[in-house]
Amino acid sequence: MTVEVNGRSLDGPTRPGQCLRTYLRERGLLGVRKGCDAGDCGACTVHVDGVPVHSCVFPAFRAVGRRVTTIEGLARDGHPHPVQRRFLDAQGFQCGFCTPGFVMTAAGLDTAAGLAGTPPEELRRLFKGNLCRCTGYRAIEDALRGVRHVEHPQAGTAVGRSPGAPAGPGIVTGTARYTLDLDVPGLLHMKLLRSPHAHARVLAIDTHEALRVPGVRLVLTHKDAPPRLYSSALHESVDDDPADTRLLDDVVRHVGQRVAAVVADTVSAAEEGCRRLAVTYEVLPAVTDPEAATAPGAPVVHDKDPVTSRIARPRDNVVAELHAGVGDVDAGLRSADAVYENTFHTRRVQHASLETHGAIGWLDADPATGAERLVIRSSTQAPFLTRRALCALFDLPPDRVRVVTALLGGGFGGKQEMLVEDVVALAVLRSRAPVSLEFTRAEQFTAATTRHPFTVTVTAGARHDGTLTALKLHVVADTGAYGNHGPGVLLHGCGESVALYRCPNKRTDARSVYTHTVPSGAFRGYGLGQVTFAVESALDELARRLRLDPLTLRERNLIRPGDDLVAPGDTEHDLHLGGYGLDQCLRVVRAAGSSPAEPAPPGWLVGDGAAVAMIATIPPRGHLADAALTLLPDGTFALAVGTAEFGNGTTTVHRQIAATALGTTVDRVTVHQSDTALVGHDTGAFGSTGTVVAGAAVLRAARALVDTLLDAAATFHALDRARCRLTDGAVVCAGDRVPLEGLHAAALAAGTSLTATGHSRGTPRSVSFNAHWFRVAVNPDTGEIRILRSVHAADAGTVVNPLQCRGQVEGGVAQALGATRSEEIRLDPTGAVTTTALRGYRIPTFADTPRTEVHFAVTTDDLGPFGAKSMSESPFVPVAPAFANAVRDATGVRFTTLPLTPDRVWSGLRDQGR
Amino acid sequence: MIPFDYHRATDVEDAVRTATSRPDATYLAGGTNLVDHLRLGITSPSLLVDVSRLPFDDIDPLPDGGVRVGAGVRNSDLAAHPTIRRDYPMLAAALLAGASWQLRNLATTGGNLLQRTRCAYFQNPATPCNKREPGSGCSALAGWQRHHAILGASEHCVAVHPSDMAVPLAALDATVRLTGAHGDRGVPLTAFHRLPGDEPRRDTVLEHGELITAVDLPRLPPTTRSAYRKVRDRASYAFALVSVAAALTVTDGVVRDVRIALGGVAHKPWRATRAEETLRGADARPASFRAAAEAELAEAEPLPGSAFKTTMAREALVSVLTGLAEEGAR
Repeated sequence: MTVEVNGRSLDGPTRPGQCLRTYLRERGLLGVRKGCDAGDCGACTVHVDGVPVHSCVFPAFRAVGRRVTTIEGLARDGHPHPVQRRFLDAQGFQCGFCTPGFVMTAAGLDTAAGLAGTPPEELRRLFKGNLCRCTGYRAIEDALRGVRHVEHPQAGTAVGRSPGAPAGPGIVTGTARYTLDLDVPGLLHMKLLRSPHAHARVLAIDTHEALRVPGVRLVLTHKDAPPRLYSSALHESVDDDPADTRLLDDVVRHVGQRVAAVVADTVSAAEEGCRRLAVTYEVLPAVTDPEAATAPGAPVVHDKDPVTSRIARPRDNVVAELHAGVGDVDAGLRSADAVYENTFHTRRVQHASLETHGAIGWLDADPATGAERLVIRSSTQAPFLTRRALCALFDLPPDRVRVVTALLGGGFGGKQEMLVEDVVALAVLRSRAPVSLEFTRAEQFTAATTRHPFTVTVTAGARHDGTLTALKLHVVADTGAYGNHGPGVLLHGCGESVALYRCPNKRTDARSVYTHTVPSGAFRGYGLGQVTFAVESALDELARRLRLDPLTLRERNLIRPGDDLVAPGDTEHDLHLGGYGLDQCLRVVRAAGSSPAEPAPPGWLVGDGAAVAMIATIPPRGHLADAALTLLPDGTFALAVGTAEFGNGTTTVHRQIAATALGTTVDRVTVHQSDTALVGHDTGAFGSTGTVVAGAAVLRAARALVDTLLDAAATFHALDRARCRLTDGAVVCAGDRVPLEGLHAAALAAGTSLTATGHSRGTPRSVSFNAHWFRVAVNPDTGEIRILRSVHAADAGTVVNPLQCRGQVEGGVAQALGATRSEEIRLDPTGAVTTTALRGYRIPTFADTPRTEVHFAVTTDDLGPFGAKSMSESPFVPVAPAFANAVRDATGVRFTTLPLTPDRVWSGLRDQGR
Repeated sequence: MIPFDYHRATDVEDAVRTATSRPDATYLAGGTNLVDHLRLGITSPSLLVDVSRLPFDDIDPLPDGGVRVGAGVRNSDLAAHPTIRRDYPMLAAALLAGASWQLRNLATTGGNLLQRTRCAYFQNPATPCNKREPGSGCSALAGWQRHHAILGASEHCVAVHPSDMAVPLAALDATVRLTGAHGDRGVPLTAFHRLPGDEPRRDTVLEHGELITAVDLPRLPPTTRSAYRKVRDRASYAFALVSVAAALTVTDGVVRDVRIALGGVAHKPWRATRAEETLRGADARPASFRAAAEAELAEAEPLPGSAFKTTMAREALVSVLTGLAEEGAR
């Protein structure tokens, strides 16, 4: 009864009900990843007798007597498989979580000659069982076809070139380690019992039967939870979010909210424990619609004190609101030659990162003091803020808590949230044993956060020549059962979307509303995607009313160098045009529109559409980062940063910045990151800050270290400091050359280490620009839409790593196309999420994703490191309105609700009488 | 997952005897659908009888010129088989339109026919569903309906059959070979799947313990042209909103024979007999195809949320038939 895995016989029986993936992971083959548990995502792909299968739906006992190959067994005689090599050369990944699955699928083909000549249709068909959420598939297609993108820049020249990600070799061989890829002896497993009711009071929880289940160690209920209220959202300023959440509450406010936690020796014992918990609920009236939630007499979601909870109007279910204006909008509308008004709706969509939320916690002894320390290794984008939140929750000093983030399998804002660490910490502190919690894919859909659904009414007026006279927004955002990110998303959404236009009269009335539904949270673009869809659609329509080219209307009104950035209610004054490439972006889009038409199927309607967007490079009210650089004995450098890597590529960029400033090559800089034990503080990997904030800290640390090294050389080797300079591997001074190894030894002998630190406060802030253009074909009979061409222009300032930056754009466009065309978290009338699997929640596949042409403006920013701006959230923002504008151009129908599924398009065409 | 017993069948008799002996036993073949359902708690059999190692792996010619496909033949092997690709291209196309490569490497011919509906309410044990829990109600009637039936539904169930493969098999007049405690029998594929009626729990006419051993495909005239078209929400890896399998034989501009089945519209692969009757002997022109499609869909009774599928099915059918006629005329 043995299974042959990677040429070795594995003994040990398979357990009843165990799938091959779990069997392999339990034997240390951690490159076999768990993404969906349902045969949807392909991250667990292995070969059985040479044929690729999803190991999560392959019963383990069926592997007995068969030959199994995993990503770890693909290399031959120490040489990587050609497919692994190609994924490395093309950098066919971002977070890398899906990569072993893609590599195994590709390696199952006859790849002696690679897939260079394989027709696109064939590639799309072959890879429909593998989902990627980061790349937009272009980098993967290039890898499959053997295209080389990764460069090896010379010393001191890395900024502006495309060296590969340091994690790359681990990612393609399956040795990269994500949050739960850790073997902890004696690990206990937690499962959460979740509420079946949208609103209920927990009257009693009988735990006796659960505690009698063999293997169950601990049951946690609201009686065990600290009374403190907090927000699951993580921000530098705690005051940004309402304190409305309790670790385990005696009131549940959405279907799927945690009610109790069961900790047991095995996952199945914990599951059985959850089934045996007897909860008595008093079911309370619930409201699941944001309009209904603000009607008089609606059930109150959070009956809390507005001052201590920071909820704007708790009795009215309003968590935050904005009522502000500049100029006189009514007068502006009266002076307009054309006015357009419509109401736009965006739905709930989800990050769907391939790695779900998870954490492992344990107790250890602080190596410095010997004091007991709580260690949490979790899938967070903000380890330092998580530590701060845990300290506040459990009354612990910072030096008694360490939070570590390994590689993250995608984030997109979903992990700027404390959804697992709090309850794991409580279980560790209670049981004093290591405890693990991993969300299932269904939990990810029902109990992690979503993008805020927005309803936006835009009223826009302009004169005959296109000059805007008034821009008015009425906005209702649905924050769900909790207010995490509710205020921030609302304010940000109503910020850059209108600040982008010079218009003397602007007015915004906006509110974020509680409902008894799954909480909304942070997601790429942070409200801008929703409001920009409305504003850019409305301006397109306004131009049509004035018989103006929609781009001409924009050009007439877009901000220009020297303009103030004005959004009603914006009280921050540190936002500047640090660089300006918007004009270049518009030129790219205009050129695309005047290119010859791509062929469309006969009878299909063809149209073009564009949209523009602006985003601040850094969130307001402070985003902090520390970096530390140290010379090592071998003359290489260790760089410590606080920010986390989730495929956004900051590790690569930080290495490039440090290597360039130090005049060396990237391979001589090793990055250590996302560990509260490493540096003083880091706000986190969110708000598109990895390059512009953490990168700025790295640059400062590197420049400081150059000074330190020159000082040291002058001191220890009696050189003229003024004539010393740092080259690759040595300090040189006239004819003298001090190798860095020697310098380190001299410093060590003198009792010092050669280290420097850098700090960044994230202010002042600049803005990035993006423009997108589509040509689409619409089948008037079925509502199907095909993208004929997709073009994106971005002003990212200095592009530190063109390969990675292009990948951010391609991935952002693909993710936005999902929200535009097919993704929707659906709720039933009770507010329960019904899309609980990836097969029903349709993120784009390889075949759905067009190859987008990406163009970068040639600019440099006054504020960012080496003139760089951020470029990770912003490509998402203009995609939906550009698509809807193209469909409008093709069909004459203005679609106001996303996603544009075939049936919605068909219904729109029918209603219009076509 | 709830614990269950497992038995690996040594031969067909052993499989049938073991499965018949326990009222809630079920067969396990590729497992791509069943393993998922065990995890989701949609089904909890006390005994799984593994039939994956029974000798049903062959594709053999039949004396009348047709083909017998063993129940254990993997979807990937069936789609790649030279005879299938040459003589039954719409079957190969339908197989490739379904699932992913990794899943097709596991999924079997018999198992594909026995797939359960992907109705979101059926798949969610927290919601009422007459198919999963008889008498509990149908959530889709007041819920999300765009993936639901427009033909042959009942007040108890509006689910659709998810298989791509079964749609061309219905058009081809395939026969499902069964063996059970009372011997062997053959059931036409069009009679194998049921309409929901007042017993939506039952997807097929299979008796408890009966096992699919093969699917027989009849010979098609060499002049027949066939195609499979699938309309869905994303370009791959999504179940059909509507699909069409059609085989058309035209001589001298006149339809001599036609076989049509629709997927995604009913509780079973929907053989479009009215459209076929309308078309036989008619001119092979778009107007005839449109009239045929309208005749078939005249009896459609969509829900508000699935109304678009009637037009979508009509246009997809007209488009496929027009394409086949043009292809034949070249």
